[in-house]
Formats: sequence, structure tokens, C-alpha cells
Amino acid sequence: MKDLKLAGRYYWHYLKPYGWPFFWSAVLIGISTACVVVAPTYLGRAISELTTYVQAWADPATRAGASLTTFHHTLLFYVLFYFGDASSLLIASWLLAKVTAYSTGTMRIGLFRKMQRMKVQYFDQHSDGDILARYTSDLDNIFNALNQALIDFLLAIAQMIGILIMMFNQSTTMAWVTMSTTPVALLIAALVMKKAAVAVDQQQTDIGALNGYINEQVTGQKVIITNGLQQDSVAGFNTYNHQVRKTATRGQIWSGILSPLLSGMSLLNTAIVIFAGSWLALGGSLSTGAALALVVVFVNYAQQYYQPIITLTSLYGMIQLAITGARRVDEVRSQPDEVRPVNGKAIDHIDRALKIDDVHFSYLPGKEILHGVTIDVQKGQMVALVGPTGSGKTTVMNLLNRFYDVDSGRITIDGTDLRDFDLAQLRQTVGIVLQDPQLFSGTIADNIRFGDPDAGMDRVLAAAKQANIHDFIESLPDGYETKVSDEQNVFSAGQKQLMSIARTILTDPRLLILDEATSNVDTVTEAKIQAAMDNVIQGRTSFVIAHRLKTILNADRIVVLQHGRIIEQGSHQELLAQHGFYAELYRNQMVFE
Amino acid sequence: MKVLLPYLKKYRKDALIATLAVLVLVFATLWQPRLLQTVMTAIMAKDRAAVWQNGIWLIVLAVIGIAGGVVNTVYSARLALGVATDLRADIYRHVQTFAYADIETFSASNLVVRMTNDVQQIQGAVMAAFQQVTRIPLLFFGALALALTTMPQQWWVILAMLVIIVLVAVVAFRQMSSLFGQTQQLIENVNTVARENLMGIRVVKSFVQEDNQIKTFAKPSDELRDVTTRIGELFAVLMPAFFLTANVAIAGSVYLVGTQVLAHPAYIAAVSSFTSYLGQILFAVINGSFIMTFASRAFISMGRVREVFDHQPSMHFAQGPAKPVRGDITFDHVTFTYPGDETPTLKDVSFTVPAGQMLGIVGATGSGKTTLAQLIARLFDPDSGRVLIGGVDVRDLPEQTLRDAVAFVLQRSTLFSGTIAQNLRQVQKEATAASMHRAAEIAQAAEFIERLPETYDAPVEERSANFSGGQKQRLAITRGVIADPEILILDDATSALDAKSEKLVQEALDRDLKHTTTVVIAEKISSIIRADAILVLDGGRVVGEGTHQELVRENAIYQEIYQTQKAKEGRLPA
Repeated sequence: MKDLKLAGRYYWHYLKPYGWPFFWSAVLIGISTACVVVAPTYLGRAISELTTYVQAWADPATRAGASLTTFHHTLLFYVLFYFGDASSLLIASWLLAKVTAYSTGTMRIGLFRKMQRMKVQYFDQHSDGDILARYTSDLDNIFNALNQALIDFLLAIAQMIGILIMMFNQSTTMAWVTMSTTPVALLIAALVMKKAAVAVDQQQTDIGALNGYINEQVTGQKVIITNGLQQDSVAGFNTYNHQVRKTATRGQIWSGILSPLLSGMSLLNTAIVIFAGSWLALGGSLSTGAALALVVVFVNYAQQYYQPIITLTSLYGMIQLAITGARRVDEVRSQPDEVRPVNGKAIDHIDRALKIDDVHFSYLPGKEILHGVTIDVQKGQMVALVGPTGSGKTTVMNLLNRFYDVDSGRITIDGTDLRDFDLAQLRQTVGIVLQDPQLFSGTIADNIRFGDPDAGMDRVLAAAKQANIHDFIESLPDGYETKVSDEQNVFSAGQKQLMSIARTILTDPRLLILDEATSNVDTVTEAKIQAAMDNVIQGRTSFVIAHRLKTILNADRIVVLQHGRIIEQGSHQELLAQHGFYAELYRNQMVFE
Repeated sequence: MKVLLPYLKKYRKDALIATLAVLVLVFATLWQPRLLQTVMTAIMAKDRAAVWQNGIWLIVLAVIGIAGGVVNTVYSARLALGVATDLRADIYRHVQTFAYADIETFSASNLVVRMTNDVQQIQGAVMAAFQQVTRIPLLFFGALALALTTMPQQWWVILAMLVIIVLVAVVAFRQMSSLFGQTQQLIENVNTVARENLMGIRVVKSFVQEDNQIKTFAKPSDELRDVTTRIGELFAVLMPAFFLTANVAIAGSVYLVGTQVLAHPAYIAAVSSFTSYLGQILFAVINGSFIMTFASRAFISMGRVREVFDHQPSMHFAQGPAKPVRGDITFDHVTFTYPGDETPTLKDVSFTVPAGQMLGIVGATGSGKTTLAQLIARLFDPDSGRVLIGGVDVRDLPEQTLRDAVAFVLQRSTLFSGTIAQNLRQVQKEATAASMHRAAEIAQAAEFIERLPETYDAPVEERSANFSGGQKQRLAITRGVIADPEILILDDATSALDAKSEKLVQEALDRDLKHTTTVVIAEKISSIIRADAILVLDGGRVVGEGTHQELVRENAIYQEIYQTQKAKEGRLPA
């Protein structure tokens, strides 16, 4: 029920602008339905006229007056009504198609826009796959529902109302007969759908487990082959596979059976209507022509009457998915935005110093990561952060760029709290090089000028040269125009890292945070990256988050963090002399003869 | 299609019943208008008995129709799942005969997709085929035949309707499939931008590129919106056009009945059934064209499955019982090129390691270290030259002999979900608590395993997510040593261990697995500093061989690597 309310709010927000198209679609669908239900009566009337004509012709007394004119007129009306149906339905579908495409387009961009405004926290707490699924399956489900369910739903309701009116207009008795099997049909539908939901759920769980097994085994095939585990692997697979066979058969039966059951019910209903209609025709006061017409008309109605019921039950699953989809997208929409100060102070450089002052911070309430960290950095200094995984090194970086804000204490630049600066200007002043150098689709040049898309080629070249990557780029057949895309991983981790350094150099930030890459880079490439980093650090205030100590031997100050506290602080020599944590770490990482 | 035949044959009973049930269903659907016609004639003749009798028949027919539909669904489902399950099992079994090179040819993720999505696609198609596809041609031709026998003079009305509908359908669906293709591409573009921004959200924010990225995203998103609008408009025209055509045809035929009614008064009673048949023809054509669109996807899947079956394992092993071999390794002028590559990854590599010794391998990323190790385990065969274990070419060893002799521990140490003990028993079937403890002791894993509440029965989650990097590597080493292999390959398998644990592992290997030849590949010189011999690889060639001391003195490349790792000011005060 809560889902329904959330979904309602969501759709209201996005569909509100389309009030008029909706109004006209509803009107047109009404017209179309009216045409569809009225038209068959003209067919009945035509048959009745034809019967009268034949009878008049058969009797010599009336033969002269027998005429087909009324018959022809009736047929003309039949065609006209269907023409009205087709044209109004066409315009309504046309309008709704536009509404669907445009509203889901707005939803998609809205979701992306929201993503750009949200706090980084959300991305850290949700898996990429989960967030991406909102663009793919959730928006897809919403689109499908709007695209198909919307018009089908409106049509079904209109049809139902129209048919009921027409039936009761023509013959109350026959109308009741036509409706007689409805409760049974609804009961069957409800029961089957309930069973299907359970069975399909089980089926999905088992398919998920099977796919998980296949994925794990085949991606670990090297281990299977080198250990000779092929037969074990097949045996494990068979267990999952047979389980899927069992539950999926049930799932397919229960979810597939509703449609033939309801079609069958429609067939049965038609039979009952024919049966009852003919008894009524024989026993009643009706002329043969009128009786025949009544039967023909009601056979038609009986078929049309079941159509909306079948449609509505088949839409049920689709609507369910659209409600869940809307809830999940809406959940993103209701996330808090990053806090941006109104009239934030301008900043484009550092005059004196950056100060981290007694900072406490926690990602999750009650689980504090930093317990009162204080670091002073004078303009132009290089400070290195060292410590084991989970010590809080990366957290400091998150705070300097305001990806997160401190719980207590403050971080200041030249005495002004970071939170008082204009956020965009602050981030332009603070540059980061991340561990995982995410590149974007486009050319290499586009990626280097990512932070300033208007930068000319001369600046791109200069940045690449400083980052020691120019020669490599030039050696590629397309040079700076080489396409970067995530499918073809032609660049090594080291090369990507160097490109990301060039990207940061181009924006010329005054304060630099370098989160050092740890994996997939051999020590020789690492030395190359090191040289590039040294180039960037020149003349800038910088923080280096180091995993390999070699990088930071020249730092003005090394800060050792453990469990969110500073345990040692000083230059390389000073720390070695302390024989503490740093000295031990150093001993472990370096090779000594 | 040929891929499916043997499976369909196996489940021919289900297939037969499903098909018969469809026949019954189609018969019921088609016969109802006929019976209606009889009833109408009876009404005109005021024949109560005939009305009663035919009325009963109508209801019986409807009930038979329901039964037919239900039976058809049940047996179609059984058939589809039977076929899918067997097909998937056969693919899986076939893939398990593949050599590693074959897996790489397809790529693991690609094979997974073929076993999951593609099989699912085929399953859906089989189910639909036996539910719908047999029904649609039957309905179509049945309705056509019945319509023709009802009013034979009006064949050309039916023909005109069909020509118009088919023409409209062909034109519309052709255009639609091109639009659907475009949609697919645009959806992919939209997702790429979204995914990049998700993963690079910190980059976007720190470079203040939010607005530019929104513009980048809006481009494919707006194009997608426009293409979906066009598809929607096409559909909007299509359906009303179909129905209008059918109804004009009905009106036309009724008009013709008017002109012929004096000669054929029975036509009046036939109008109703004739119009029903026209409706069913229309239904068959519309559904048929939809199914064609979907069927094309299933055919693509079948092609992809067939590719897997057609691919024969590229490596064969000598037959014969498993027998022990000695642990010495010899590379004799080995050159190796990865399938699809132009330049060889290993060039003329020769060396020998006596049994029980430790060999270290160093070199830059891409110098061929891992490739060399993979040839020992015969994941690939060399282009030329020989790899010998215990003096025997690995190509002449039975598979089991080779697997028993060589244990390969990878950097990304894959454990399978289950328990620790299950993972260990995969390598040594009868592993006891004592032998597991011994192996874990060697790998320095006993300490943390035995602190877990369930010790060796502790669960291992998917991707071993419940263990840290160092723990995963120690578990993998435990698995590597439990069966006392003749040769143990550690491919950067201690990268996440600190220096102290790494040293302990190596000491334990020396002490407890004396006869085992150990091959250690490492980035860190500290990992191989104690090796009996070290190979230095550069660009696929052996450019140095010797002990650490020798190489530091003589080998320029080794010196360069060493330089990047050497302590700044020599030995520390202990």
C-alpha cells in the first residue's frame, strides 16, 4: 500500500504536465469505445433488415415494396462507426505514445540530474549494479507499463462500461446471462495469479542460484582445470539444473495457464449466451429476424465482454512491476542533495595554510572513523598519509573535497571553513587523482580536457607531457583522437593512471590530493607514475595517500594514521628513528641486502 | 533449429500431447461459429430439439476447449523445461571438456550468457512454439477454409483483406525492426554514460562537470525518446488500420450477401459465422507477425548455442592411469603465442629447475611471467619447444597425473561458495581434520580459520566476500598444498600478505614440503629473494638467471626493478 502511494506520487509528478493530452485521449477513447459497441448493433440490424427483405420478397403481395435501401444505409453506418473508432483510437494512441516517450525521457534525465546533485554517500552505500538497474529494468518497466498498460487499461475500462450499457439497453435478461460466468472467471483469475506469484518467485530464486553457480564456476574455470575438478563441477551443476527444471515447470504452468483458462471461459460464456439466446428467441414474442439479430449481437457482446477481463488480468503483472519500479526510482529522487552554501565565499587559491582541526567523522552513525584528527599544512607543503587499510586515510580525502562533511571539528583554508566556500569553486581549487582512474567514453584528448572542455590542444599536450604519457599517446595510430571506451580495455592500469594525472594537471588545482594506485601496476611503471606525480606536486600544496612508502620518502611531513587517530608524525628520518609503526612498515615493504 | 531436434525427439511424447491439445483447442475455437450457424438455422426453422441439442454441443465444445488449453500449457511447459534443462546440461558438460584456451576464445562471461540468457530465450521460444506457433497457422488456415466453405463466392473479399493487412504488416514491421535496432543501440549508449558517471561520480564532482555530464547524457536520452515516439506512432496507426480493414471487409461481405440473398437465403444465418472467421484470420495474422519478430531472437540464441557445441576442445590428454612423476621442470626452447595474437608472448624460453627447489620469476607487467607458469600446468601448449615435468613432455602425461602433480595458486584466488572444508576436499577427497590443519599451518591460515566459530566448516560466500584479501590468499595456498603436490606454482599469490607472514609461509614450505618444487611469481623482490634461482623475464625472453646476489651484480633489468624497491638508506638497525 505504501508502494502504491509512493508510485502515485511519482507518476503524478511526471505526468502532471500532460493533463490536456490525457484529457483528449480519454475523450477519444470514450468515443472510440462508443463506436465499437454501437457498431455491432448495425450489423444485427442489417441482418434483421435482410430477413425482412427476404420475407417481403417471398410474399407476392409485398414484393413490390421490398427494398434494400435501409439495409445499405445500416451497413454504411456500420462502416462509419468503425471509421470513427479507428480514427479516434489512432489519435488517442498517438497522443499517449508521445506522452509516454516524453515523460519517461524526463524521468530518465531527471534521474541522471538527481544523481549529479546527490551526496556521494549514496553511491558508497549502494552497489553500482543496484543503481544502474534503476536506469535499465526499473525505467524499462515503467516505460512498458505506460506504453502498453496505460492505453489498454483505459480501453478495457471504457469497453467494459460501454458493453454493459449496450447490453442492458438491448436486453436485460441477455445482459445478465452474458455476465453470469464473471464471478467464476474472476475467482479463477485470482486463484491462479496467487499460485503463479508464489511459483514464479520460487522459479526466479532457483534460476538466480543456478546462474550464480554457472557464473562462479565458469569464471573460475582456471581453478577447475588446474585442479582437475571438471566432473565435480558438472555434478554440482546438475543439482541446480534439476531444481530449476522442477520449479520452473511449475512456474511456467501457473503463469501460462491463465490465458487459456480465460479464453476458454470466454468460449464457454459465448456458448451459454447462444444457448440462452436461442431459447429466448424461440419462446418469446420476438420476430424471427429480431431474435436472430439479438443472438448475433449478443454473441458479439459476449466475446467483447471478456476481452477487457483478459486484458486487465494480463496487465496485472506489468502494473505491479511499474509500481515497484516507480518506488525504486522515487527512492533516489527523495535522497538529500549535497549541501551548497548560499552566496558561498569565492576561492581560487591558498594564501597561507590548510588546517584540519580536531575532526571527528563517521560514515554510519555510532561508528566513528576519525577520532579527533588535527593536521596543519602550510602553503606549498607535501603531506603524506600512511596507515593500514581502514585507518581513515581515504576518509581524509573525502572530507577535503567535501564528498562528506565533518561531524565535528572543522577544516579550514586560510581560516575559512570549507563549508562556507562556494562548492564548485572549492572543488576547482582542490584537485584529486584517484586510485581507480575512471576514464569516460570519448577521445583521449576529451578525457584529458575533462575538467575544462574548452581547453585548447596546446594545453592538452602540455598536460600529457608533464604526466609522462605524451610519447605513449603519440605512438597510438590515432594519437590524441584514440577512442576510449569501456569495452576495449586497451590501456593498462598504469597508462590510465597517467592519463588521469594529465587530466588533473590541466585544471591546475592549487591543492592536490593524490590517492595512490595500489594494484596491477608493476614497480617500474610505478616509478614512472611517481615521476609524473612529482611533476604535479611541484609548486602545489598536496596530500598524498600512500600505500607504497617509496612514494613519500620526500614528503615534508608523514602522518601515520591507525584506527582513526594520528599515532606518529614527522619526516621520514624522524619516524625511522622512532622505531614505531612506520619503521616496521618500512622494513616490511623494502628490500634490504 | 538442428540443435533442438534431438531434444525435441527425446520429449516427443510431451510434444505430441501439447500439439494434440492445440488441435483440440483450435477445433473448439473454429467449430463454435459453425455450431452457431446451425443454431441460427434451427431458430429460423423454429426447431426446438435442434436448438437444445446444438446448445448442449456448444457447451461441451467450450469445456473441451478449456481442457485443450490447459493440457497444452502443462505439456508445453514440461517440454520447454525438459529441452532447456537438457540443453543447458549438455552445454555445461561440453564446456567442461574445454581447454583453458577454448574458454578464453569465447570469454567466460560470454559462455555464461549462452548458458543462461540464450537457453532461457530458447526455452521461451519452445514454449511459445507449442502454445502459439502451431495454433496460429492452424487457426489461419482453418478459419480461411471454413470462411471459404461458408460463403465460397466471397473468396476475393477475404483475399483483398489479407493482401491489405499483410502489406501493412510487412511495411510496418520492417520499419519497426529497424527502429527497435536503433533503440537497442541508444539504450546501450544511455547506460554507458550512466554507468561511467556512477563509477566516476567522484571524478565528475571534483572536476565540477555535473552540468556537462547532464548534457552528455541528454543527447542519447533525447534521441531515445524520439525513436520511441516514432515506434509508438507506428503502432498507433497499425492496430486501428488492421481493425478498420477487417470491419470494412465484413461490411463488404454483408453487402454482397444482400445482392445474393434471394438466391441463397441460407447466407443470412451464415453472416455471423463468416464475420467470426474473418476476425480469426485477422487475429492469426497480427499474432503471427508479432511472433516472427520475437522468434528471430530465439534463432540468434540457437546459433550462439550451436557455436559452443561446434567448438571442439583444442587440447587432448594422453590416456592411461594416473601415476606419480618427479617434480623437476624443464623448458626446452619454448615459444608461445596466445590465440589471436600476432607476436609471441614467450620467446625461446629454456631453463631447468631440479625437483624440490624454489624458482623465482620476476619481470614487468606483460613480460610473460604468468604465461610461463600456465604452460607448466598445461593451460596452453607451446607453439614450439617442449615443457617437461619429471623428464616427460606434459603433452604425454594423462590429465589426472598432471593435475595431481601441479598445484596452481592464482593471485585472484578463487574459492568457490560452500565451506572451507568443501573447497579443500575438492582437491583432496579424503582430507581429514588433521590434514586440513597441517595444510592451513603451512599457509599461515590455521590461526584465523581455527578462530572462526565453525572452523573448517565456516561458509565461503560468493567471491569469498567474507574474507579479506590476505585471508583469501592464505586459503588458496592451503588448498594448493593440501594434496602434497610435486610442483607448487604461486602466481603472485602472496601479494596481499605482509612480509612477516610471507616469510613464514616460505619457511613452512621449505620445512614441510621438501620434495615440492616451488615456482614463485612476484612483483616484490622480497618474495623471491630466498629462491634457489631467479628468472628475469623481459618481453617474453629470459634475460637473466641466477640467485639474487648474482642478478643484483650483473643484470641491468633486475637492478632496475630492485632499485624501485630498495630501501633508501640500506640496512636498518635491527
